[in-house]
Amino acid sequence: MTTRIYRPDGVIGQPPLELAATPSSLAGMRIGVLDNGKPNAALVMTRLARSLATRVDAEVSLVTKKGPQGRSANAAIPCAPDVFERVVAESDVVITGTADCGSCTAYSVHDAIELEKVGKPAIVVTTTQFAPIAETMAQHFGLPATRRLVLPHPIGGTAPDVLERWADEAVDRALTLLRP
Amino acid sequence: METDVEQLLEVADTSPETLQAVLEEHGWGDGLPVVPPTEDRVERMLAAVPDDPDEELGLLLPRGGVVTPRVAAVNAVLAGCPPAVFPVVVAAARALARPELNLRGVNATTHPVAPLLIVHGEIVRHAGFNAGVGAFGPGNRANATVGRALRMLLLHVAGAVPGRGDASSQGQPAKYSYCVAENVDESPWESYAFTQGVTTPSAVTIHCGEGPHNVHDMESAGDPALILDKIASAMTSLGMNNAPISQGEFFLALGPEHAHSLAGAGLGRSDIASYLFDHARIRAGELRRHFEERAWATWMKIVDDDHMLPMTGHPDNIRIFVVGGPGKHSAVIPSWGMTESVTVPVVEKDDAR
Repeated sequence: MTTRIYRPDGVIGQPPLELAATPSSLAGMRIGVLDNGKPNAALVMTRLARSLATRVDAEVSLVTKKGPQGRSANAAIPCAPDVFERVVAESDVVITGTADCGSCTAYSVHDAIELEKVGKPAIVVTTTQFAPIAETMAQHFGLPATRRLVLPHPIGGTAPDVLERWADEAVDRALTLLRP
Repeated sequence: METDVEQLLEVADTSPETLQAVLEEHGWGDGLPVVPPTEDRVERMLAAVPDDPDEELGLLLPRGGVVTPRVAAVNAVLAGCPPAVFPVVVAAARALARPELNLRGVNATTHPVAPLLIVHGEIVRHAGFNAGVGAFGPGNRANATVGRALRMLLLHVAGAVPGRGDASSQGQPAKYSYCVAENVDESPWESYAFTQGVTTPSAVTIHCGEGPHNVHDMESAGDPALILDKIASAMTSLGMNNAPISQGEFFLALGPEHAHSLAGAGLGRSDIASYLFDHARIRAGELRRHFEERAWATWMKIVDDDHMLPMTGHPDNIRIFVVGGPGKHSAVIPSWGMTESVTVPVVEKDDAR
């Protein structure tokens, strides 16, 4: 004799989403960097963008913080609407992050998905220690395939030359994430 | 084994051991034993509110689960709630989904934030909440189970599972259960809910913050400044998110004796908030040295390094309610930062009171 009990989790209310299409070639593409202000985020993502641009003959078109007018950044809320519009207008692909804490991972993944929704392929830069959180957030927000580039941990507090090496070593993986 | 009915599971029996195994298999639960959410128990819970059981109360992030009164009831049963407290759980579920609370961030952050639930009004008495001695716990079923039900909703519907949807580096005991009732009977002031424009017979406030930081003052009879200086001292820390985020609120849980000492000297809530805004301060240069990114009000950004900056951007961010029993203790509850507290009505059935 069995008994029935209720599940406690409720149905999922967010619709499933798809990645934006990526171009067949990245040559001439404009790469934007959307910085959430985490320590060393701009440094490591700008280096990654430049190394990627050099490799594929693209350009780094924009590096901006995600707060209003790009003047500040708060990693625990969505990208400011004016900055989002500018990133969409001035970039063909976007690198965003860094997703190396909890709320900043949630919102970096959120920002990347918002960019994918308007047709801009977006890579979230995360770390080994926060990759599981990033994966969970991507699933929860309806786009499990969100492009996630995993760097060593931590980004904050690591020396600039080490961060630059990590960025350079990640270029191949970034290219894989942007493959059509 | 799942039945063809989407929301139901078939289990061998409802013993504590079987239930625990079912929860573990699905990654559910808070680690403590639960009450089986059978259909009759869930129905009894739902009978305590006027709402349609399948009405969408909101989407709980980051998982994006839909919370309905029925889903809330399942979690309330699991947590051991008596039906009389269930209207508070439903109200709290609505509050959690409000955008200004920023539940996506609250749940996902590495910070040890937990939503504090403060119950106001008539339901405090008739559902048996504790607003007096030991209100933060333990020992009262209403406080303990409502706080736990809220956590169950966060775990199950919002997906705030440690290491997945909840990245809190160290966790927090208040993440098991964090619910008190306002002691309006012992307060010199009107209910906190009224100050937020919520004048229904019962209401609930959610503030997403740290655990309570104790303030002990038994020396300063006749000198309210000494009480307030100690409170200001407890509010002043480089380790709190209020330091780099000026929109962050402080909730001040005043013990009744401190509240009466302050009110007896003619101080109202706004006087106390102004005093604390003025006294809980850190040198701007020190804050700048410690925080590369500062989510400060614009006026705070232009002061020189020697200026003493307040721990929050406006006196209105210092929120005051009375709780507890005899003794000379109060508590400061700092904010996670990028969140705003929410106060909502508790809707009961007409014959509940």
